[in-house]
Amino acid sequence: MVGLRRSWQRVLGALYGRLPVLPTLAARRWRSDESGEIPWCPARVRVPEASVALVTSAGVHLRHDRPFDMMNPEGDASFRVIPGDTAARDLTITHDYYDHRAADRDLNCVFPLARLHELARAGWIGRVAPRHIGTMGHILGDEERRLVGETAPAIARLLAADGVHYVLATPG
Amino acid sequence: MVRQASERSPAPRNVFVPFRLGQVFGEPGAEVQQRAVLAVALGALLHVQAPGAILDLPYRWKRSVYRDPLASA
Repeated sequence: MVGLRRSWQRVLGALYGRLPVLPTLAARRWRSDESGEIPWCPARVRVPEASVALVTSAGVHLRHDRPFDMMNPEGDASFRVIPGDTAARDLTITHDYYDHRAADRDLNCVFPLARLHELARAGWIGRVAPRHIGTMGHILGDEERRLVGETAPAIARLLAADGVHYVLATPG
Repeated sequence: MVRQASERSPAPRNVFVPFRLGQVFGEPGAEVQQRAVLAVALGALLHVQAPGAILDLPYRWKRSVYRDPLASA
């Protein structure tokens, strides 16, 4: 049953990637439980002087880290820490709800850590943050509430402790 | 990615690129394309001035010419 369930999820994920009308319809139907004012903070630090972190919902995590739970239909609202100096070969993707075959070949398709390092070396940004974050998308119900109430604040505290100025959130 | 998702639940600054899910920064191995998208996305820090606004990138996958930000660094 586990294999059948995950196979079905992967089929749906592949269809979402190939038929753009499906995610568009899903987005129209989706209603978040958490609504409110959009947070805003002026960009006070020049980008060439800023520490930049990536937070991805593409299911990226260290290869030896615990995979995201693919058996909960509401998703997995936990997060994984990815050190900024991690080599691509030490990362993997656990996420059944989008077609990540391209990203399996080159993680920069969804998590451009190598490209960020290149921009830092060229002075485009100040520096690459010491820690980045992997989460998975497709978060619903109680897991969405956990994401908003626990996971997101914990991520914000972690990145603030690292002196991160800007976060680029990347989807799958 | 899905523009409607950003419209429904926007981040403070949003960047939309009309690429497939799973390849939002470009093709595997296409370093210039990926760098160009990343650099323009970081530019949203300057160009997006209203909470929740969406910056639409002009790229059209393989039909666009991608300018490498490192070429002008």
